Amino acid sequence: MLVLVTGGSGSGKSAFAENRVLSLGEAKRIYIATMYPFDKESHKRIDRHRAMRAGKGFETIECYTGLSQITLPEDCVVLLECMSNLTANEMFQQEGAHEDTVNAILSGVQHLREQVRHAVIVSNEIFSEAVSYEGETGIYQKFLGEINQRIAAEADEVVEVVYGIPVYHKKIRADIIKEAE
Amino acid sequence: MEMIIGGAFQGKSSYAKEHYPGIVWASGDTLTEEELFASDAVLGFHEYIRKEMKAGKDVSSLAGKLIRENPNIILVTDEVGYGVVPVDAFDRAYREAVGRVCTELAAFSTRVTRVVCGIGTVIKDA
Repeated sequence: MLVLVTGGSGSGKSAFAENRVLSLGEAKRIYIATMYPFDKESHKRIDRHRAMRAGKGFETIECYTGLSQITLPEDCVVLLECMSNLTANEMFQQEGAHEDTVNAILSGVQHLREQVRHAVIVSNEIFSEAVSYEGETGIYQKFLGEINQRIAAEADEVVEVVYGIPVYHKKIRADIIKEAE
Repeated sequence: MEMIIGGAFQGKSSYAKEHYPGIVWASGDTLTEEELFASDAVLGFHEYIRKEMKAGKDVSSLAGKLIRENPNIILVTDEVGYGVVPVDAFDRAYREAVGRVCTELAAFSTRVTRVVCGIGTVIKDA
């Protein structure tokens, strides 16, 4: 099963995604961390996320670029957070895929799905504002928008978290039936 | 507590006034903390958060205090977290703070309505 969790800044999407992983049952849980700790603010962010995950039984694997190279334990449930960092890393880090970012990430997601029982992927809504970006920021939005769409097309569940409230854009039938019971 | 949220210029205030007739609406950008705790309803709650942060105040306990002091307030607030991460550090902190405060308030709220193009969709009705 593939779940895409998206939302704005500070929306509670991480907490939701972690709980979604827990709701997928007992399994080896892997957290794929994508934020490169380059300054004080990112260290603070990483610490905050670590504290949130504590006690939920996640093993952390760092992956800044090259998602299609990672090997995961068999039959695990993986939480990848988040697509917006991974996309920026692939675009802007030296060892990244640069103009081939979209393909690199999508084949990475495919590679992930082939190895795991369930995958929950967190992404980010960075597309609704007044400022129109040119240059690399504009390309970044275009790439992430395309990645989100392609993952959503494959996903069993697509959920936007709005101030902690899940708004479902796509939901598998089994869940709908289960909820109705 | 009830919340009406959405992007800028979506008709949130009109929606709020139509759905809650006869209520006195305070304005977030000029409100003191004391007035906030005494208000029935506030328009532009995100502006209150901006004002407090501009004045150097920590808003991490704001949601908890508001829940304690004024649990029946109606809040109209912009969603500001749907753009590219701002270059300016204050804008970044503000954008995240609005999200964190409102997420906490939404968890407590009995009803949350999201307004897009003037149309309200109830996304939480507890």
